[in-house]
Parts: sequence; C-alpha cells; structure tokens
Amino acid sequence: MKKLNRIYITALSTVLLLSACSKQLDLKPYQSLDQTSAIVTAQDVQVTLVGAYNRASLGDLYGGGVYIYADMLASQTLFDWQGTFQTQTDMVNQAITIDNSSVNGTWYAGYQVINAVNNVLANISKAGTSTNQDRTQGEAEFLRGMTYFDLVRLFGRDWNDGTPSANLGVPIILTPTTSITAASFVARSSVSAVYAQAIADLKDAEAKLPASNGFYANKYSAAAILARLYLQKGDYADAAAEATTVINSGAFSLNANYVDEFPNPGQVHVDNTAEDVFAIQFTPQSVNNVNFNTMNVFYASSDNAGRGDIIIKDSFVAGFETGDARIGIYNVDSGGSLRVDKFDNVDGNVHVIRLAELYLIRAEADLRLGQSGAAGSEAASDVNTIRARAQLAPLAVVTIADVLTERVHELAFEGGFFLYDAKRTSTANSQVNVGATPAFSPKLVFPIPQVELNANPKLVQNPGYGQ
Amino acid sequence: MKKKLLSFFLLFFCFSVVFGQNKVITGKVTDQKDGSPLPGVSVIVKGSTAGTQTNLDGVYSLSVPDGTKALVFRYIGYKEADLPINGSIVNAQLEYDPKQLSEVVVVGYGTQKRSSITGAITSVSSKDIENTPVTTFEQAIQGKTAGVNIQAGNGKLGQDITIRVRGIASINGQIQPLIVMDGIVISDDNLSGTSAATNPLADINFNDIESIEVLKDASASAIYGSRASAGVLLITTKKGKAGTAQIEFGAQYGYDNPSRHRKFLNTTQWLQIEERAAVGAAPLDVANGSEPDLATALADDKAFVESRFTRYAAGSTNWTAYNTDWEKEAFQKAPHQQYDLDFSGGNDKTTYYFGGQALNQTGILKGNSFQRYSGRVNVVSQISKTFAAGANLNFAHVYNERLSNDDAFSTPLQIVALSPVTPVIDPRSGLISGTPPGASSNYPVYYDPLISVGNEYIHTGTYHTIGNIFANWELIKHLTFHSDFGIDQTNQNEDSYANSLTYRNTGTLNGSGFNDETIQVHFTTNHYLTYKGNLGTNSTLDGTAGFSFENNHFTTNSVSGQQFPSDAYKTIASAALINAGSSTQSAGTLVSYFGRANYAFKNKYLVSASVRADGSSNFGINNQYGYFPAGSVGWVLSQEDFLKNFQPLSNLKLRASYGLTGEAGTAYYQALGLFSGTAGYNGAPGQRYSQIANPNLKWEKTLQTDIGLDWGFFNNRLSGSLDYYNKDVSGMFLFVNIPETSGISTQLQNLGKMYNRGFEALITSENFVGKFRWSTSFNVAYNKNLVTDLNGQQIQGTSDLNWVIKGQEIGVFYGRQYAGVDPANGDALYYLNTKNADGSLNKATTNDPNAAANTVLGNAQPDWTGGITNTFSYKGFDLSFTFYGSFGNMIYNGGGQYMSANASNGFDNQTIDQLKYWDKPGDITNIPEPRLFYANGTSASSRYLESGNYVRLKQATIGYTFPKAMLAKVGIDKLRIFVNGSNLWLITKYSGWDPEVNADFLASSAPYNLGNDFYSAPQPRTITFGINVGL
Repeated sequence: MKKLNRIYITALSTVLLLSACSKQLDLKPYQSLDQTSAIVTAQDVQVTLVGAYNRASLGDLYGGGVYIYADMLASQTLFDWQGTFQTQTDMVNQAITIDNSSVNGTWYAGYQVINAVNNVLANISKAGTSTNQDRTQGEAEFLRGMTYFDLVRLFGRDWNDGTPSANLGVPIILTPTTSITAASFVARSSVSAVYAQAIADLKDAEAKLPASNGFYANKYSAAAILARLYLQKGDYADAAAEATTVINSGAFSLNANYVDEFPNPGQVHVDNTAEDVFAIQFTPQSVNNVNFNTMNVFYASSDNAGRGDIIIKDSFVAGFETGDARIGIYNVDSGGSLRVDKFDNVDGNVHVIRLAELYLIRAEADLRLGQSGAAGSEAASDVNTIRARAQLAPLAVVTIADVLTERVHELAFEGGFFLYDAKRTSTANSQVNVGATPAFSPKLVFPIPQVELNANPKLVQNPGYGQ
Repeated sequence: MKKKLLSFFLLFFCFSVVFGQNKVITGKVTDQKDGSPLPGVSVIVKGSTAGTQTNLDGVYSLSVPDGTKALVFRYIGYKEADLPINGSIVNAQLEYDPKQLSEVVVVGYGTQKRSSITGAITSVSSKDIENTPVTTFEQAIQGKTAGVNIQAGNGKLGQDITIRVRGIASINGQIQPLIVMDGIVISDDNLSGTSAATNPLADINFNDIESIEVLKDASASAIYGSRASAGVLLITTKKGKAGTAQIEFGAQYGYDNPSRHRKFLNTTQWLQIEERAAVGAAPLDVANGSEPDLATALADDKAFVESRFTRYAAGSTNWTAYNTDWEKEAFQKAPHQQYDLDFSGGNDKTTYYFGGQALNQTGILKGNSFQRYSGRVNVVSQISKTFAAGANLNFAHVYNERLSNDDAFSTPLQIVALSPVTPVIDPRSGLISGTPPGASSNYPVYYDPLISVGNEYIHTGTYHTIGNIFANWELIKHLTFHSDFGIDQTNQNEDSYANSLTYRNTGTLNGSGFNDETIQVHFTTNHYLTYKGNLGTNSTLDGTAGFSFENNHFTTNSVSGQQFPSDAYKTIASAALINAGSSTQSAGTLVSYFGRANYAFKNKYLVSASVRADGSSNFGINNQYGYFPAGSVGWVLSQEDFLKNFQPLSNLKLRASYGLTGEAGTAYYQALGLFSGTAGYNGAPGQRYSQIANPNLKWEKTLQTDIGLDWGFFNNRLSGSLDYYNKDVSGMFLFVNIPETSGISTQLQNLGKMYNRGFEALITSENFVGKFRWSTSFNVAYNKNLVTDLNGQQIQGTSDLNWVIKGQEIGVFYGRQYAGVDPANGDALYYLNTKNADGSLNKATTNDPNAAANTVLGNAQPDWTGGITNTFSYKGFDLSFTFYGSFGNMIYNGGGQYMSANASNGFDNQTIDQLKYWDKPGDITNIPEPRLFYANGTSASSRYLESGNYVRLKQATIGYTFPKAMLAKVGIDKLRIFVNGSNLWLITKYSGWDPEVNADFLASSAPYNLGNDFYSAPQPRTITFGINVGL
C-alpha cells in the first residue's frame, strides 16, 4: 500500500468519526422535564397539583410530623419516650437544637408544598374549563393556607402570646421559583400577616371548591381548617360559623363506633371514613420512602411496624370516665407496653381533620361567645353528640372545661392539640403548664433552622435559640 | 564473569581482519543467568537502523554491510550489549536488568522513557502487588505510592474504597482518580442500590496487572483534561512475550479474622449503670412534671428499669443468669481462598496472555462473602511490517453477599447494643433471641442482627466485561496512527429478601424483597497519531495528537414486593403486593481533542507541552467546551559536564510543571431546571420541581504546579524523588444552600476556591546486594487542604460534625466542644465558645448544649501519610513487609451517642469506659451522670472525637523458591511457597474498632462526610498459605 493512501484513509476516517461524535453532546434527561416545558397543558397543571399533595404527605409535614412534633413538646404527662432519635428526644425534653433535622424537615416540606401550589396558581389559566380552574385553584389554596397556618403555629408565637402583628411568623411566598434572585431572600412576616394569608387562601378555597372531590380537598376541608384556625385565633364567631358549614353540609357523619375511625385491617390502604373531612392518603405503593406515616413510626409498637418509641402513661388513660368507649383505642401490646392504637396501620391515612373536632369547636366557640351550655343548647347538644358516640351519658350543662376535657379524650395524639390547646387557652398572666413549662415559653416554639438562617440573612431567629 | 567476557571479545576485536564485502553474521543470544535462549532480541548493525530479531531458539542471521564493526543487542528487561564483529559468528549473553523494566513508563496515549519524563508519575509494578491477600488492587498498592491515600471505609467485602491523589480534588465533583486500563476509561461509578457504595474496581483481578502508573501533576495528567483533577491511574495488563510458552499456577488458602475487638459492659456492669441511670432520671422526671415527687419517681424509675432487666433477661428475674459477649457474636471464622492460572507466550509476530482467577473470600462479619471469577485474553499481532492489531478482553463475574448499611439495626456490629443479660438462644423458644414466634416485638432491646443471618440477604451479582481492540499503523517512518474501540460493560443484579422472621427490622408482614438490574455501558474510542523522531543528532522530538469520544449509559430496572406466601418463597414472582417498581436511564457524553509534544536536547534539556479540549454533555450549550493546557520542563543536571565526573551521582533531574485540569461534575443534566415525575399521590400521577437551573454552570478548574527532583547515587542503588505541588481549585461546584422558602434547598454553582498543597518524598535503597539482598522503599506525603472561598456559605455534611467552612479543610469537624462533667452535679458541660466583645472565644461552660456555639474541633483528613516496604532475600528465601501510616486526622464516633452515652440514651449496652461515670458530688470524671432517656452529654460534640493516627503492618510475605536445578528433574520451571498476611498489626490510640474507617452510609451521601465511625466493622486480618508453580 502506498504511504500516501494510508494518510488519506486515516484522514478521511478521522473526519467522519469526528463529525459523528461531536453531535452527541446535547442530551436530554430521561426521567425529568425541563422547567420551561413542564407546565403547558391542563393535565400538566393537574399533575403539578397532585405533586403538591405528594409534598404535603412528607413525613415531617402532613405525614404526621406537623402534629406529632407539637404533641412531643407537650408529652411529659402523657407518655414515656423511649426512642433513641436525638431529634425527637430533644422535642420530648423541650430542648430542641437549632440544627434539629426534623424541624428543618417540616420547614422545608412546608415550602415545597407552597412552591408547588405557587406553580399551580401561576399557571391556573391553563387549567381548562372555568369549573376545573376553580377546583384546581381551590385545592391549591387549601394546601397553601393550611400549610401557612401550621408553619406559623410551630415557628411563631401563639396568637394569644403578645402582639401577633409584631411577633414574627414565617416568610410569605406567593410566586413560583424559577431562578434565584434577590427576591428569593424573604424576611419573616408577622404572625398576623401569615394568619391573614392563610385565611385568605382558605376562604377563597372554600368559595371555589366543590362540595365533593374524592379524597382531595373539598369545600368543607377548607371550612374545617378555617374553623380550627379561627378557634386558635380566638375568633369564635367565625369558628362557629365555619364549623356549622361543615356539620350542616350532611357530607360527613360520625362513625358508629369510635375505634372505627382508626381501622387497621393489616398493611393496606384504607379509604377515608365517613367522619374524615380531610385526610392525607397513604398506600403501600409509596412513591419513595420519604412519604411515610410518621404517626405510625413513633406511636405504633413493633407489632404494627412502628418503632414503639412512645408508651402511653397509665395515668393518662386513668383520667377517662368509666365506660368511655374511647379507652378501647388504648391497649397493651405483645410486649406489655400501653399503646395508642390510632396509628397502627402503617399504610393508613393521617386524619388531618374529622367531624368530631368540628362539633367540639362549635361547642367551645358558642360558650366563649357567651351562649348557653344548658340542656338543649347547641353547645350541649354538640358535646353530647360526641359523648353519646363514646357511650357516655349526656351532660346536663356543658362548660368550657367540659369541652376541653372532651377534646383531650376525643382527639388525643391526633392533631398536636396538647400543645396548641394549652397555648390558646393561656394568657400572658395565666399560662397553662405544658409539662413543667409555661405555654408561652420560647422552648415551645420551633427554632428557625440553622441552615435556613445561614442561607438567608434576612431571617431572624426565635428567642431562646442563641441569637 | 562479565569482565572475562569483555576481555575475551576485546581480544578478538584487536585481531580482527576486515574484509571489504557484505557478509552474513549468525549467532545465538542467551540469558547470561541460565543460558536459556532469548527470542525476539533486536540485533542491529551499529550506527544504522538495519537489523533483525532472534527466533524462538534465540538464533539470528543478519547480512551486514562491509565495514561493520559491531552489533548492538537490545532486549527489554536486559542490559544492552554492544559486541564487536569477529568472524561470522557473534554470540551474545545478555544480562538481566530489573531496572530496565521500569525504564519505559506508560503515559496518557503512549509510552515514554522514564529518563525523559518531566511530570510527576509514580509507578507500581506487578511484583509489588502479586498475590497480596486482599480483594482489590487499591488495597494491594496501599502504602506503596507516595501521595496516593487509599482507605477502606469498613471491613465489609466489596465495598467502596477511596483513592485520593494529592488530597481531595473537589467538594462535589469526581474525587476518585480517572482509571484508564489499556487505554480505555474504566467506570468506577458506584452501582449499589443501597446507600452503601460498592466498588466496581473489585471486579478486576490484579494478578493480571503488569503496572500501574499514577499521574499526579498537570504535566502528566492534563492530557486527560476535564477529568484529571483527581489524578489519573493508568493500568497496563500483562502481555505475552515471544518465546517458550509459560504456564503459571498459583493457589492461596487462609483465614480472615477481625483485626481488632472493642470491649462492652458485662452483665454486672450493665445492671449497675442502668440502675444508676434510673436514679439519675428521677429528679428530672419530677422537674418536668411527669412524676409528683422524688420518692415516687425513684421507686417508679427503679421498677421500670428492673422490669426491663427481666424483659431483656428472657423473662427471667435472675438477671445475672447470662453474660453474653455480643460483640464476638457478630464475627465468624472466615476462610479465604484464591486460585490463579495464567498462560503466556508467542513468537516474533504474535504474543498472547491468558489469565484466569477464582477468588472466594468469606467476610469476618456473619453473612458477608465475596467471590470473583475472572478471565483475561490479551493478544497482539504484527500483521504486516507496518500494521499491528490486537485485543484486550477481561470478563469477570463477581458475587457479593452483602450486609445492611452501618446504620441499620440488622448490620452485624449493631449487635453490640444488645444487653449482656440477654442469652443468644432464648430458652423459652429455643430460638435465637428475638426470633418469632418467640418473644420478638420488644425483646431483645433491639432487633437482633443474628436473625438476619440466613433470613435476610442482599446478593449482588455482577458481570463485568472490559475490552478493546486496537490497531497501530505506521503511516510513514516515525509516524504511527493508533485507533482503538473499547467498551466497559457491567450488568449487575441485586437481589434482596427479608423473610417474615425479620419483621421487627423490616416492619413488613410476610416478608419483603427487591430486585434491581443495572446495566452500564461505557464506550470509548481513541484515535491518535504518534511521531517519534530525531531532529539532528542532539535533539529528539515526539508528539501525539488525536481525539476521543466516550459515551456512558446507564439503564436500571427495579421492583419491590411484599407479602410472600411463606418464607420458602423468596423471589418477587411470589409477592402478593408489588409495592414499588421503576426503570430509569441516564447518559453522558464527552468529545475530546488532545495533543502533546516532548522535546529533548542532548538528553539534558527536556520540554513538554500538552493540551486537551473537552466537550461534555453535562453542561448547557454555552459552556460545553473546556480547554486544559499544561507545560513542563526538565533539566538533567547529572548529564552536565560539571557533574558528569562526580562518580557517586548517577542521576539528578530537576523538573517543573504547570497546567490546568478540570472537573465536569458527577451528575448528568446538572445545569438544567427540572421537574420530576416522581410525585404521585394515592395512585394519581404527579410532578414536582426537583432541580433549579444554573445556566451559567461551567467547568471546575484546577491550576497545578509541581516542582520535582529525581536523584540517584551509586549507580542508582540509592535513589529517590522529591516533589512539591500546589493544586489551586477555582470555580468549584458547590450545592449552595438557597433559602428553602424557594421550595428547593440547594443550587449547583461554580463558587468555591480551595487548594491542596504538599510534598512527597520517595527513597529506595538497595541496602545489600549479592547473595543476601535487602532493599527498602520509603515514601511519605504531606498534604494540606484548605477551602479559601465559599462565597459566604457554610456546608454541613449529613453526618453529625462534618462541615465545609472557609479557612478550614474539607470535612472539618465543627460543633460543640465538650468540657467534661460538672463535679458538683454530674451535668455534661460544653464550652460556650460564643464570641466576646474583643473577638476572643468565651470559654465559660454551660450544661445546655444549645447554648454552646459551634467551633472548629479538628480535621477529618490526614496531614501525613506514608509507607515503608522492606524486602529481603537470601538464597531461595524472600521476606517483605509493608507498614502504612496515617497521621493528623480525627475520627468521630457517631455511634457514641448510643454506645458511649453513660446510659442516658436508652438501654443500649455501653462501652467499658462508661463505668467511670459521675456518681456523687465531687467526682472528677469525663463521663456524665447516667440519666435514663435524659440525653446527658449525648449531643454531638467533641466528646466523641478522637485522634485517628495509626501505623499498620499492612502486608507481610515470607516465601521460599526452590532451586531450579532441583525442579528441572521433575519438569517444573519455578516453584515458590509462601505465607501472606495483611493487616497483621496495628498501633493506634483510637478506641474504636479500626481507625481506617468511614461509615458506609455517610461516605456515599457526601464527599465531605469524612472520618466517621458508626458501628463500622474493622479491617480483616488475613493470613494465607500459598504456592506458585511455573511450567
């Protein structure tokens, strides 16, 4: 072979290979979409909304963390903590550190929901028919309003504690993130501003949502959370009004037996009960392992796939009236420890709010508004409806103290009420003790996560956390 | 003998008669040592390029022109002989010269003579690593390469091993060096389906390796451009040699044992500390309102812990009936066997090497094993005078019986948390404690990892094929074109199953399992021209230019199932519930152009320059290409006239290099803003915002400087090198914390700056030569890593104390500083370390861990690493041993908050030192008062930080080679028997199992999670007996 030929052959094949290879640099991901093409159609808006529910079901948020962490702060007379997770041990000891990863988990999950919602709302015009747009917008606002309400309850001082318009709440973000700019660094709004945002979202959601919407949020989900919010805020007239909306809707009914609210037919998904106004859904088909039922993790014994870190004190159950059917949910496990069996189904839903609470909200609101608690009154009737289901005799006259006791026996361990009720029933001069700690102690407010303070210089730490 | 030979030839030369015409010279070339014929020896007419090669019998025949006075005989591995022509027969006896073998060094896209190298390259040859009783080549070269820090994370087999060339090259980029085997890039991507990384390099049989060159500075490595910042390892596998076929057989058999144990409390001690913890908790129960008064609290707490004693003592109130040493139960006697069979040979046209290996290693931890079956075929053939082609092919099957991560209750060493009062076999059920249907929901204190043995598994089966075909074509004289196409393909299956007996650990009724299939195909093709030539008499020039293309593609499939009909059903076909399944793909491409030129003048003045352009699919269209130039110079002082006559000095070379290398990041699609479809809810599909875009993302750059000195004295009997380097990293990838209120927590940005500076020294010495030989090789390296700019960020690892902070090393331990125990009340104390007005730190103490500010507590990376190898031989005996040392780093025991928690964090058994707890006012101790569940002193702090300095006898071998004469009678060419050992002896003050540690689940989650111990198993101590037979 001639030498010149060799060079030609080499040069030609080189050029061919080169041109083939350099075209190979523009690769697109297989599992993800570029943000510019992710939300185009009505279907895209809907799946983004579903993504917001997915984020809401994270373990540190409505997977249960947002409720159980609050109760852990108030657990000293209720249960014995035998867990080894330092983050939870610190909560039980009312000594949360600023680097507590569960606290940061709740914060971050909350804002993932809010960003997902903001993506939905920014694209709401693409959501198809006006009916569909309303439904989509309502669900999105419901999730955002509820999330702001729970974030401000955990990370800010209680509405009753000082001046809500001066106390720091959490940053309010209402637009979706596409890039990081100066506008991405947002300071904390006041507690009252966050409440106002939550109320605005929930009210609009109530107005736009249909009465029935499968396992997703409906009109009454928004009304129910509003009722809870107004009660926390001491706005009793609105609380009673929203509670009435839910109770009178006829869409929900109390289960015949109390324990039926907490079904555990094994490790399978169970649909909402007739009593659930809104619940976060869990299935064995978890999309990924960050979406899990945190209530089950800590409350359930290892008989039921939990860690069994929480043992209910005998003294707590001893406080129930004789014959109270609700004691039936407290049982000794195979290892001899007393457990609350509300969360035994590892794939069970987290009951965010259920009808019984709304009866109790209305009863308390009525009484606080000065209405009668005598026999035949709405308050007495509401409380006795709950008592009747617990197979207890009706009370002739109902007092605020009766309602609060009923709340403990009816709703224990479900919604962080041990902490939140202690706070909202306290005043600056007369604080309920949470364990040995006054309800308005800075120890009972979550710290702003250290990592967030580092990332955003506009944030101010809560008192008592070394700032 | 040599002198005699020389005078003999000289004699002939003096009396030679010169004939004025062409003549044919014939002769035979033999090995001076044993007279065996040498085939393939180049025989060249002195002063010309005309020549020939010897045939299989070592015989040649060469027609030489009139007036030819001498012939030159050249053969790799032998000293060159220059013999006068005297008559028509010139026989040559060549002297074996082991140094000759290292004369040629493999460099990027070529080879170079060691003497002309101007970069920093460390070489390891097959002799240094053959038959080492370890699993992977990284372990085999540990301590034998200056500036290359190799560390295993724990003693589990087949797991990730870190290689750090001159420090950690990046925070978020690729920090393992680029591995190139026979010219093609080998993927060392971790394909593990769990959060404990596995090691794909463990698939390589290192007895197939001829040499490993570590390219450390820019001059050597910048030709690999964007992936060279962490260094490059060039692996060359064995090739056949022309001549008689060689058959080598090797066998080793031995045992692995844990190299160290850790002491925990016995029954009496444990009962004592737990009783005391109940007493310590009582006042706090009263203080927080959960108990009405101290007397009640004391009684309640005592009753409570004693009820637990009974529970954990298998229901017996005789708590002292058992005294179980659970730590020992985690381990097993572990046989270790290995068999090798190699064939090699060839003729002057074609050579071959066939290698095979079977390795079967049992882990020291129950349930752990590693098997490797590998084969290799290397063939090269000179098809025509100008055209050669060949192929290298390696196929391997690895079967790894793995264990749970270090943070899982089921990992064997978490067994130490179990109470000594608990019997191994529950007398009530006759089963291993905690096994259903016996007491299992809360007995023993935690899930018993022994239940997992045989009832839970994760098996990784890998088929790994690495191969390439190549051709070299001499286009014109001095100019060769090289092409190769290579593929590195891994098919990996992970099969995991946990049956119903493991329910307490898995939380899943009736068993659960998953099965993952991963296929990785890494395709490489290289095409380049090489020029080697002389420019006049005094100067030589060689150069390389070409391009390459790579495509790395991953495909994964996985399925998870639950609810098996019985424990006899183990595959997911039988699972009633398919609870998860997925398939994914990802790919990255790299297009590269490269070139290098080396120029030498009088073999004294050396200049080298290289450049690489890389285009990567990892970046956006605007920043796809990066350019990486490097240059170096060398000055061989020993060739200068003023030193030439200084006899003791045999080599002195000064070299300096400067250049740029890059880092393209480890994640594909990392610059894009993405939504991901992994956000379904109750069966409805969903998407979520998963990655924030960074359109400005570009290459990370490392500017490297190296100044080195190579020296040799006494004909290189004493030789060495010294290097100083500086690697300045800029535009470093950082996952910068952005406000989580944006819905995303981090963004990848080119923000950071960092450097690694240090020096390396290597000294080799042949202390004795002759019948008794003793040689020593010593290397030491110092590296200082410093993060110089993080744009105001502080990055926290996912471990307790590792951070990345400006002005500190990567992974520095940063947190609360433990101040011991308040003698008055037994409280754990921490230094406040808040800033005083004058800027100094407030060293007052507090019992509130929250009040204590974080402070720098120590470094997680060693400053000094080094190794020393001594080799002795006398007659047939040989002995060698290697010590490895690492100094300057701390280790954090993340398990301390459970195992060394003064019984303040549950019922975990405690390390023996916890007995020195504070008991009464006035006690001076470092261990706080036990307070059950009150976390007294268990917060992450310097309490659990210790020095990680150690020196270890890494390897030792003693062998005997039988005399040839004796073996010839039985037809054997070579026979050696030996005893091998690894990790034989350890000197350290570290109180944990092993200072060579980094907990698997942390190591794989962030590169700055460094120096963490978490129930991590010690390295195995291995002793094997072996035999090598050559035919």
